[in-house]
Amino acid sequence: MRNVFTIAGKELRGFFASPMGWIIMGLFALLFGYFFLAHLDYFVGQSMQAQQGGGPINVNQFMIRPLLQNVALINLFLLPMITMRAYAEEKRSGTIELLLTSPVTDVQIILGKFLGVLGFYAALLAVTMLYIGILFVFGNPEWKPVLTGYFGLLLMGGCFLSVGLFISSTTKNQVVAGAATFVVFLLLWIISWLGQSAGPAVASLLDYLSIVWHFDDFGKGVIDTKHVIYYLSFITFGLFLTLKSVDTERWRG
Amino acid sequence: MIEVQHLTKRYGPVTAVDDVSFRAEKGEILGLLGPNGAGKTTTMRVLTGYMPATEGSATVAGYDVFTNPIEAKRRVGYLPETPPLYPDMTVREYLTFVAKLKLPGSVSRSERISRVNGVMTKTNITDMANRHCAKLSKGYKQRVGLAQALIHDPEVLILDEPTAGLDPKQIIEVRDLIRALAGNHTVVLSTHILPEVSQTCRRVVIINRGRVVAVDTPDNLTQQLKGSATLYVQVDAAGADAAAALSTIIGVRQVSEHDRREQSVGFEVASDTERDIRRDVARMIVDKGWGLLELRPLRLSLEDIFLQLTTDENQLAGGSKEFAFPFDGAQGDAAEAASESEATPNA
Ligand SMILES: Nc1ncnc2c1ncn2[C@@H]1O[C@H](COP(=O)(O)OP(=O)(O)OP(=O)(O)O)[C@@H](O)[C@H]1O
Ligand SMILES: [Mg+2]
Repeated sequence: MRNVFTIAGKELRGFFASPMGWIIMGLFALLFGYFFLAHLDYFVGQSMQAQQGGGPINVNQFMIRPLLQNVALINLFLLPMITMRAYAEEKRSGTIELLLTSPVTDVQIILGKFLGVLGFYAALLAVTMLYIGILFVFGNPEWKPVLTGYFGLLLMGGCFLSVGLFISSTTKNQVVAGAATFVVFLLLWIISWLGQSAGPAVASLLDYLSIVWHFDDFGKGVIDTKHVIYYLSFITFGLFLTLKSVDTERWRG
Repeated sequence: MIEVQHLTKRYGPVTAVDDVSFRAEKGEILGLLGPNGAGKTTTMRVLTGYMPATEGSATVAGYDVFTNPIEAKRRVGYLPETPPLYPDMTVREYLTFVAKLKLPGSVSRSERISRVNGVMTKTNITDMANRHCAKLSKGYKQRVGLAQALIHDPEVLILDEPTAGLDPKQIIEVRDLIRALAGNHTVVLSTHILPEVSQTCRRVVIINRGRVVAVDTPDNLTQQLKGSATLYVQVDAAGADAAAALSTIIGVRQVSEHDRREQSVGFEVASDTERDIRRDVARMIVDKGWGLLELRPLRLSLEDIFLQLTTDENQLAGGSKEFAFPFDGAQGDAAEAASESEATPNA
């Protein structure tokens, strides 16, 4: 376990030591801010109407939940940038030789890298919490759905990151890794669109396969083990593929 | 300490290492010598557990690198061909990271810090401690790579071209460091700079095209290739009959003039190996009243051996005319200059 944290710590520091990490963080905050303002604007409009026509509307339901759902969209663009270097750059620069000849197992390396990228993603989410904090200052949202929502975002991001890690482990070129990851994310995304327009049987299958669909309940403040298990199995599968890929590379040389 | 048995490594259709066996005893420095593409790096990558062998086995410090990789890796320090540095880390951060990775969990923080400081002193990089690895010169990168390999005080050191990219002064420093490390550590180093093996290694494994061509001490290899020994004799005030006179000594096969200056003349005197003719030669020179300026055994340098071994191999492998000159262009003039200046016959 100590080795896992050593590697995770190294990954995490790498983001803050390079301009890339700060650029990703800036973009994440910027995009989130844009969605925040757009939703705020919409929400204020809605609540004006609601005041004229009846009781107040819920800030959780009309603002925070759709806002958090939009993080999935931000992830689509920015998470490939987090994982693309993870293996590709180590392979290109030869530092992979250090890792693979150190007394650590492949599983420890992979878990370390995964925790590292997940930690950075958590830091990105932490920044967005500052925006949500504003709502708590000026309004009175329920905090529980916010927490479950963030928990769901972390799990959803974990799925993207495990896929990204796998793709990064198959190439030496981080640009190729990033582009391929984006395309795969896009496909995973499209699955959820198709779900909306397909017939009921196919739709439920596509929904099940869609990473984004499973997030819905978290946004509502519900932690359903079904979704947690789905996300955790997805992550495990992604990391398993990474392990296989690292092992194959090893044999090929 | 290190035992390699029938090691074969194929990359798809390419056989990079073909049935290689050798061993290195505790405290010894073993040189892997071979031209580009000989399979040195591949052999080392298998030894360090970076990649599995296609066939055969490798044991390091008593542990099979394939079946017991973690224990084996704990006892090995490895300097790859390109030093594995993270550009965004400072030298100190980097060495601390490697220390955490390689030292067992029981080692305390203060012990770790003193190890890091220790290897930085040993490899002379203390003044670069806070510089980012990306901003180091090639020579310093190489030294940080060496420091990284030493950090857990491993029983076995595997160094892939440890002096590549260093200036002549640094080359001498690194060789001295490696020699100082032998004794407590078993060292395997690869090189295609020939004087390097005779300078540092007790035994040499010469590899060509993935196969072991010869394993021996540098001295024995020299002997092996020569049925005869040659002396270089430089004399003063000798008459024109000097060469003829020298040929009369028992055991001398051939005398040839090597160089002639205003006063002195130098001869190469070839003799049977089993007879030491040095005393007889000296006596004759004194008796004749010539001045003896120089008398030393001439050995075939390892370069010659190397050329001979690899050319023979080439002929066996289908009489290919192309010949791999053992110097890598990338080594640059510095290394060659260094080898020139150190190429005096070895003791
Ligand atoms: N990853 C790889 N995939 C395919 N072939 C490889 C790979 N690595 C090395 N080879 C081939 O294996 C052979 C041995 O290469 P290796 O790097 O071990 O040689 P070397 O003795 O270290 O050479 P050099 O002195 O240039 O470093 C070469 O023919 C090389 O082309
Ligand atoms: Mg090599």
